[in-house]
Amino acid sequence: MLSRPRGAGRLFDRVNRLVVTRPSNLQSLQNWHFSQFSAVSTRSVPATDSSDRVPLRKQLKQEAKALKTQKRQRKENEEASRQIWELTVGVEIHAQLDTTAKLFSRAATSTSHHPNSNVALFDLAFPGSQPEFQPATLLPALRAAISLNCDIKPVSRFDRKHYFYQDQPSGYQITQYYEPFARNGYVDLYDYDGIAREDGERVRVGIKQVQLEQDTAKSQEYPPSTQLLDFNRVSHPLIEVITMPQIHTPATAAACVRKLQAILQACGAVTTGMELGGLRADVNVSIRRRGDPAGEHHYDGITGLGQRTEIKNLSSFKAVEDAIIAEKNRQIAILESGGVVEGETRGWTIGSTETRRLRGKEGAVDYRYMPDPDIPPLVIGEDLIASLRDTLSTSPDQLVIQLTGPEYGLPIEDAKPLIELDDGARLEYYQDVVDSLALLHPEEKDDTAGTARARMAGNWVLHELGGLLTKADRAWDPEIVPARSLADLLDHLQRKLITGPTAKQVLAAVFEGDRRPIPQLLEEDNLLLRPLSREEYLALAQAAMAENPQMVEQIRNKNQLGKLGWFVGQMMRTGEKGRVEAPKAEQILRELILG
Amino acid sequence: MPLLREAERCLANQHANKLNSFITPLPRVGQWLDRVKEADKRKEQGSAKSSIDGRLISIKDNICTRDLPTTCASGILDKFTSPFNATVVEQLEKAGGVIAGKTNLDEFGMGSHSVHSRFGPVKNPRRDHSGEELSAGGSSGGSAVAVAADQCYASLGTDTGGSVRLPAAYTGTVGFKPSYGLISRWGVVAYANSLDTVGILGKNISSVRDIFSILNQHDSRDPTNISPFSRSRILSHLQETPLSSRLASKPLRIGVPLEYNLSELSPSVRRAWLLSLASLQQQGHTIHPVSLPTTKHALSAYYVLAPAEASSNLAKYDGVRYGTRGDGPDGTGQTDGYLYANTRGTGFGPEVQRRILLGTFSLSADAMDNYFIQAQRVRRLVQRDFDNVFAASNPLSDSKNSVCSDSSSVDVIVCPTAPSSPPRLSGLLNGSAKYSPLDAYVGDVFTVPASLAGLPAISVPVTVDTDSNADVDGLAGIQVVGQYGDDELVMNVGELLAGRRLA
Repeated sequence: MLSRPRGAGRLFDRVNRLVVTRPSNLQSLQNWHFSQFSAVSTRSVPATDSSDRVPLRKQLKQEAKALKTQKRQRKENEEASRQIWELTVGVEIHAQLDTTAKLFSRAATSTSHHPNSNVALFDLAFPGSQPEFQPATLLPALRAAISLNCDIKPVSRFDRKHYFYQDQPSGYQITQYYEPFARNGYVDLYDYDGIAREDGERVRVGIKQVQLEQDTAKSQEYPPSTQLLDFNRVSHPLIEVITMPQIHTPATAAACVRKLQAILQACGAVTTGMELGGLRADVNVSIRRRGDPAGEHHYDGITGLGQRTEIKNLSSFKAVEDAIIAEKNRQIAILESGGVVEGETRGWTIGSTETRRLRGKEGAVDYRYMPDPDIPPLVIGEDLIASLRDTLSTSPDQLVIQLTGPEYGLPIEDAKPLIELDDGARLEYYQDVVDSLALLHPEEKDDTAGTARARMAGNWVLHELGGLLTKADRAWDPEIVPARSLADLLDHLQRKLITGPTAKQVLAAVFEGDRRPIPQLLEEDNLLLRPLSREEYLALAQAAMAENPQMVEQIRNKNQLGKLGWFVGQMMRTGEKGRVEAPKAEQILRELILG
Repeated sequence: MPLLREAERCLANQHANKLNSFITPLPRVGQWLDRVKEADKRKEQGSAKSSIDGRLISIKDNICTRDLPTTCASGILDKFTSPFNATVVEQLEKAGGVIAGKTNLDEFGMGSHSVHSRFGPVKNPRRDHSGEELSAGGSSGGSAVAVAADQCYASLGTDTGGSVRLPAAYTGTVGFKPSYGLISRWGVVAYANSLDTVGILGKNISSVRDIFSILNQHDSRDPTNISPFSRSRILSHLQETPLSSRLASKPLRIGVPLEYNLSELSPSVRRAWLLSLASLQQQGHTIHPVSLPTTKHALSAYYVLAPAEASSNLAKYDGVRYGTRGDGPDGTGQTDGYLYANTRGTGFGPEVQRRILLGTFSLSADAMDNYFIQAQRVRRLVQRDFDNVFAASNPLSDSKNSVCSDSSSVDVIVCPTAPSSPPRLSGLLNGSAKYSPLDAYVGDVFTVPASLAGLPAISVPVTVDTDSNADVDGLAGIQVVGQYGDDELVMNVGELLAGRRLA
């Protein structure tokens, strides 16, 4: 249920504008480090102001150490409290469906159009206007429900959820409260999804239901007294996914939200993730002392739980985890001091350390759910479900299995980011590179060579190209380095027609905008490897040996083979740039020194 | 009579009578004059668009018109003009009908006497024996009076629990509420969506029938409108024997619901009912007692369900996107307060506020099960009551038997439209203890069951001799109710009684 009476919606929008705009886990990880660091350095400001100046390097070292200690301490505290208290979390996700149709009007959906340009009479709740269900919106919703392993109900219904707020033109939101279209699904979370270590290799979290509902208008606040409303977003179709309260660690809750987002994106149900505001999460949190008699509360059929609170409008994975930790610790503190946890709705501000109370039980909104008398039941045929099931794209978990399997041979550390980066665009690009590489070797029988190329391509797409993107602070675009160019480059590298350093140099050039075909570029800039003759290698080796006869003796007599490397390096330095190949140089040295 | 002369006479009546039947009357000059003249030409040439080509048809002011304001008789919409025409308005204009202004009503259709209007009460042209002004009935009182006072040829109203039939009975006109879902509600301002039905008011059955045939079309913009497939299914079902032979070749079986013989029934109404039945019997039809046991709960169920839907439907009126905002700063002054408390507090009249509060209560978490859910169950039972007594099966229900074999089943039900003749306006307006809001609700006791079941029902005027009892003028409304889809039969049976002087 998307509920943001009184300001919650505004908060949500404001937060969105602040978050990074690049949907990348690596990015958010970096941001996280950054914010931790700055928090510590703020605290140490007085030290730098004092008369005895600490050298910067020393200061940084001390701060890093303090941070480490702090982290370890916090981890130990968390573990200690986990031994005593059991945490239970359920997650609710609202996601904007990827569809051009609004849920109940003929206006188009839009996220970037001019405000109030895509608005039908019903979106504005004009007197006499009526809803007109748009069947196209059902397709992404069904893909989501299928991907979340739900039972799809042949008949479901729409209800009105009433509350007054200026972003809600009709005074109610149309949702599916009594009879949602999908129930009883699950999502599997694996260790590689980032679940807490104590959760082992896999956790299965039940999906209670998935329901279709309308989004509200977007409001923009101009303090002290002006609100601008954009009704383009009204009736944009949303799905709400409600999990069972079956999560017991903050990290796993964050992993669950991340995984849900990945699944929804992979099946084409949603376009944008949390970073762009296309998805938001609420969590409900309760604790109970381990070993105590069962608590008296039960939610969604799970009994024996403690009183739960709800935290609304979390807009990043990090916020999910942090808010749960903070709320859990708040509840523990209350119970340990003999208090009672109140059932209430709380909020979370990014960067804060405590959840804050939004409204208590007495202030709870009575939504007066009523079946919508204008909207007929939604009847979904088995044939539609079957055909969607058949055409559904591969799930993230299947992708992980494929990418880490014999065909691609990627390490899990590379497979995960490839799948998750740039809403799947990076994976698509990677696939293009691999396909182009395969086309360059049509006759090949040897599978292992293909695997080696696929692994190399993974490394270059993710780390070399990724590094250039990060350094230049550019958003992902498959056209910066066309897949075909990268494939050509890697082909040259693999066939030893260029050296590794040359390949990196060329990649940088293409990244900067050099649009010559790779073979032409290599030719014109004279970058192709012209192998040295045996004679040239011998001459280089002998010159190097003459420079350091003692070391030659040490290798020969004491078998200190490690010192061969020095000679190899020497040959690379003295030889013509880009022409000396290290393995060949070593081979010649061995011949000369060891005989 | 040429159409132009007829129209001019209606116009003169609109501006002469002080019955307050119009919120927006037809202007003395305007495009409509040309349209009537063109229709006159077509009539002469024998190429009239339809039987209503060039006729003035007034529209209840809760039906949207692009060219005239649509106020719903509410302060919150008192200056509102809709950006679009309701489907029914489009259909009438396409058939050559001329919109003859917007008629007064109870605010948003909530009332039984057309006194709850921001624009003042509607007056019935009829007076009682001491010359006192009478209620026109509601909520479509303006439409009924406009027809009764020759201010238009016919009128569209809306009927949620009797709002077309009751004013028809009080003003001596014909008021027809078709089966739910046959006439488009697109552009009809919702009061209680699951009950709201566009109804037709006219001087006689044939004008009502003509207009119904124009409006009885599928409209995809109204999600509750019956689909073309269901329409043809229902039609072919009715065209089969034995249903097709009713009235045509076989006398009718007419049901008289025993539960409707209330002790509160006024003597003149009871007399009109008995004489109507006698008249039908004289015309060769047979009279049979039937039982509709849930009727006694129907009124309570209606006054739970309709306000519940109303409280939801009227949540949209906040003065933010359209409509009238309250004076001065809105909100309650508290930082946490709502933005439009003041606007809604001053914009809605007391009856609308009463029903919003009622509905808000009956939908609240603690009351839902005891009120809203219970009332929905009663609604099902009311529907089942009717299905049990009608020979024709309900084409929308699950049971498959096409014709009820029960020998006690009937073709139509005939009963009074209202339990008494129209009350005096003065009593209603002075808020005297004699008429509480509940008394007004009781006036709907005979009309609400057909609304809950979505059945076609018509109120036709009959006159009984009043030599013994000079209560009023002897006019009373008699109601004919039929099975879902039996709209033609209901109108035909109404025709057997409409306008009759009975003794």
